[in-house]
Amino acid sequence: MTVIDTRDLTKRYRTGRGASVVAVDQVSFSVEQGQVFGFLGPNGSGKTTTIGMLLGIITPTAGSFRLFGASAPRELLAARGRIGATLETPNFYPYLSGRDNLRIAAAVKGVDGPRIDACLALAGLGDRGRHRFKTYSLGMKQRLALAATMLSDPELVVLDEPANGLDPQGMKEVREIIGVLADQGKTIFLSSHLLWEVERTCTHVAIVRTGRIVAAGAVQDIVRAGVAALVRAANEDALVAALQRYPEASSVRPSGGGVIVDLHSDDLASLNRYLAGQGIHVSHLARHRQSLEEVFIDLTGGEGAPMSEIAS
Amino acid sequence: MSLLGVLLRIEALKAVKRPAFCVTLGIFVAIVTTYVVTVFSEKYGALPSPYRAVALPEGWRYILPTNFGPAFLGVSMILLFAPEFSWRTARQQVIDGLSRERVYLGKVMLLLVLVALFLAIPLLIGGGAAIVSPSEDGPVLVRHTEFNYMLGYTLVLGLAGSAGLMLAALVRSSGPALGIFFVYTLIEASVGSLLGRWSDALQPITKFFPLVVCDSLTNALLHYPELLASENANRAAYGRELMEFLDFEVLAVTALAYAALFLGIAFLSMRQRDL
Repeated sequence: MTVIDTRDLTKRYRTGRGASVVAVDQVSFSVEQGQVFGFLGPNGSGKTTTIGMLLGIITPTAGSFRLFGASAPRELLAARGRIGATLETPNFYPYLSGRDNLRIAAAVKGVDGPRIDACLALAGLGDRGRHRFKTYSLGMKQRLALAATMLSDPELVVLDEPANGLDPQGMKEVREIIGVLADQGKTIFLSSHLLWEVERTCTHVAIVRTGRIVAAGAVQDIVRAGVAALVRAANEDALVAALQRYPEASSVRPSGGGVIVDLHSDDLASLNRYLAGQGIHVSHLARHRQSLEEVFIDLTGGEGAPMSEIAS
Repeated sequence: MSLLGVLLRIEALKAVKRPAFCVTLGIFVAIVTTYVVTVFSEKYGALPSPYRAVALPEGWRYILPTNFGPAFLGVSMILLFAPEFSWRTARQQVIDGLSRERVYLGKVMLLLVLVALFLAIPLLIGGGAAIVSPSEDGPVLVRHTEFNYMLGYTLVLGLAGSAGLMLAALVRSSGPALGIFFVYTLIEASVGSLLGRWSDALQPITKFFPLVVCDSLTNALLHYPELLASENANRAAYGRELMEFLDFEVLAVTALAYAALFLGIAFLSMRQRDL
């Protein structure tokens, strides 16, 4: 069953004096039931705007979408009742306690009291529920948002940067919660620019750049799409120079302890013969498995995401 | 629980724990109490009790805080609604499953509750004090005249509250919305004055300005013909222009039309603009 299906979804903002900026440009993708779908992109690439349109808080300029097969406004409202979502920062009343905030969310979702306590406990906030939201740390706020998301036992969980502000232990806990939800058969739609988080967590991914989808599919397929080799030799400068002249090489970049070369074909024997012919005897030649981070940088030109975030 | 019950429960939970609203309401109660005491102390200062001479039903016109009650209601509405945009809680409620129309409906219900509250507080404080005091109350507590006076106050509360709701929905920030709310009182008087100087033919239009309508609806001279006759006799004696008001029904319909317009603009804003 297709849970999310977008067709040429577009959002254009007027910037005054007749000018406009396209935040989301003809985005089409689909998410099937049970997938853990990563929505990747640099900051400002249109991820949150796209999710905002799906959740009904931003009106699309053009295009269409379906949630659980529904597209008419009244049907969409019912379909959104099957979604638990949090967008950007956790949005709660600062003067209310965490528990009171969940009481409001529960009333909106038609959920009873015991579920509030269960979700608070699941998010590790059982003993802080009576404290005001404004006294929470950012990590606690994120966990409260997760608790609110899970209140109605949703079929689709939409999380926008859920690990923002969390310490490593918190991030691990979020990953575990996502894993538990996925094991329960829920569909997860995870927007993030933390590539390692997505690669560890997601089954499928779409990469968005300046409002357009530049790649989409299963994570393994996306990662496998590129062919690369890691090569080491005594004279690295000569190795790089030779690889840059190799007709089958699309790009060459030094990497810690060697050189990574992206290839048009996966014929490493030919590469070995070519290097030998250039007088370079390699000490190491192996297929290099690209990480999502490398694919992302290739596709987006590395824009937006700070290296510390990519590398962490 | 019905939809209206759910919306009312949500709005009540948010309002009763909002410090800014509680402080506003507390100040209103304090001022109403002081106001009632002061008004009757000044009027019947020679009597041992400030409440002694508060006789109903005529005393209602001294009790209702027509000059500041609507302002407090408008401020309360802005304080309770506008931050929902900066905190993004209105957005979250739509994400959680309320339609934009239902979020708006919740605010309209909040407005109705606030109108009832800002009517009930002076009635309870002033009316209660008047009833328990050893005054010579009339045979009935409310006559048709006082009922119209209370209805006028209620309509003005509704108009001020819907103006606050509209400003909150349009401006989406408490400070600027409050600023516009109060600055408008200056602007309207200036515009009315300019129109009057520019052309006598335009002068009647000013009687339909929102603040003029509010002032007329809660003016004792509109509701008590003998007061108006006395005032005009004085004015005539000094050669000043006589006072005249539009009919109560016309003023009431005008106030309702303004409230409907403000609520309609707020509705369109909630429906059309991104959250």
